[in-house]
Amino acid sequence: MTAGMQSLTRRGFVAGSLAAAGCTRAPGTAAAVSIVKCAAYGQEIYATVRRTLAEHKLNVRGKRVVLKPNLVEFEPGSSINTHPMVVHAALEAFRAMGAADVRIAEGPGHRRNTFDLADSAGYFDVIPGFEDLFTDLNLDDVTEVKLASPRAKIKSLYLPNTALGADLLVSMAKLKTHHWAGATLSMKNFFGLVPGGVYGWPKNVLHWSGIDESINDLHAALPRAFALVDGIVGMQGNGPIQGTPKNAGVLISGRSLPAVDATCCRIMKIVPERVHFLQLADIPARIEQRGEAIGEVATAFDLLPQHQSLRA
Amino acid sequence: MTDRLLDAQNPDGGWTYRRGASWVEPTAYALLAVAAARESARFSRGAAWIRKAQQPDGSWPVQPGVGGAAWVTALAALLGPETLGDAPFSRAVNWIAAQVSQAHTWSERARLALFGHGCNDASTHGGFSWVPGTAGWVTPTAVSVLALEKALRLRADTVVQERAQLGRGYLLSRRCRDGGWNHGAYRVLGVEADSYPETTGLGLLALHGDELPQSRDLAARQLASCRTAEGTSWLRMALLAHGRSPASPRAPRCFDTRDCALAAIADQAAKGRNPLLV
Repeated sequence: MTAGMQSLTRRGFVAGSLAAAGCTRAPGTAAAVSIVKCAAYGQEIYATVRRTLAEHKLNVRGKRVVLKPNLVEFEPGSSINTHPMVVHAALEAFRAMGAADVRIAEGPGHRRNTFDLADSAGYFDVIPGFEDLFTDLNLDDVTEVKLASPRAKIKSLYLPNTALGADLLVSMAKLKTHHWAGATLSMKNFFGLVPGGVYGWPKNVLHWSGIDESINDLHAALPRAFALVDGIVGMQGNGPIQGTPKNAGVLISGRSLPAVDATCCRIMKIVPERVHFLQLADIPARIEQRGEAIGEVATAFDLLPQHQSLRA
Repeated sequence: MTDRLLDAQNPDGGWTYRRGASWVEPTAYALLAVAAARESARFSRGAAWIRKAQQPDGSWPVQPGVGGAAWVTALAALLGPETLGDAPFSRAVNWIAAQVSQAHTWSERARLALFGHGCNDASTHGGFSWVPGTAGWVTPTAVSVLALEKALRLRADTVVQERAQLGRGYLLSRRCRDGGWNHGAYRVLGVEADSYPETTGLGLLALHGDELPQSRDLAARQLASCRTAEGTSWLRMALLAHGRSPASPRAPRCFDTRDCALAAIADQAAKGRNPLLV
């Protein structure tokens, strides 16, 4: 057992039984999801993100926060990757809220060169000191986590200690369609937590185990989570890589990742109840929609022929 | 670069990627890169670390105590009997030659056909997987082919020969339309996918005995604009192995041990001796 594993063992990792950093929701209460308009990747993002996070009253003072963007391919200027300005805005906001440590971490599923990907996507340019703040989750020290109630075939997963040690893990997905799952949002973004160093590139074990089931198992394994989805420019069509940009002009956020993803689907004019990974998820019965009304911002994302049944 | 690699060695003798515990992959690449210093105490400690990490069935895990057998067995095998010892090397080669990816089964072939991945005889022969029990992919296949070839240079073996040939067949069947390779999904849902410089270099290196002009020409173009240290290293090695003398490219930054080790190995290849091909 490595030194890294020993320290995590003392924290006692059985998925689903972890204390949250003030991020759980009392049974029966509505899940709050914020939709804010943000027309472009400009300086206004910083105030917008700060205001949005403050409204959710996240208790991060003295805590460790890990921001998990979606980095996929070397195509700067495309709508594949989470925009670095959104990530930087979140970093600054959490620092201002008193977080003891804010890190950025990602483990891409196709390309092994994570730092190069981040560089190509503009992260080194936009975020001062980025290299010292960033962890490649594919190559991080790991701990085996037994999944409490697995839906997928796999019963345990090695997960990176940086993610497991976070008091708050912020899923910073991109608003995109997905050629297998229909949509890839804050829950699917957690695939990037599964280390390629253990499972390879792509993380085939998750596909063999069941994509939609694995999405839900990962969500359950990491309950101290929050979602902030970059929907300023999303992707439609043959996502998550070969689709086309789609201006949606929104940031979507909330503590319940299923509720955030359901809201994202409605914005994309997709019926969330028809998306299989959301059918398996515990979407809150009541979602308190804050900020913009869905009807004001919804815009139909082009869907592949096999996903036309998802259309609202 | 050799000094930089030796200085990065962990106290336990292995190497990490950037920080933290030692892993088999960076340790194997680092040892391959610094083999010229094999008489040194630091090399000896690294060799001892990797020998100790081998499992009873001849395989290596990605890290001691993490998971079971994995693709890095082929990387360790590339260190050869001179580093591992004759018996450990033979056990490793036997383990590699016995691997069959899930793509080799009829159910996977049916799934591939159903979802438009393309299903012809060469593709269904199966490559080597990252983790046993899953599909074959380009990187573990290429590394495994190189490891089996090393074994064949030392001793003829029909089983090893046939398995290496199957692996080469998989690589040939998984080229993207531009002649290069990505991770192995050259077509997804009927849509052609693009190649990556890293896997193009590695795939082409593993097929160093084949005449592949389209792939070779693509590799040369990719080298001219490659943004990663890893890709630059693999492409250099591949072009050298295919008889080209690539111009020394600008060197993208090395972010971790693997980048540094591969750059050192590529430099050795440019001087006429690639540790992965001897």
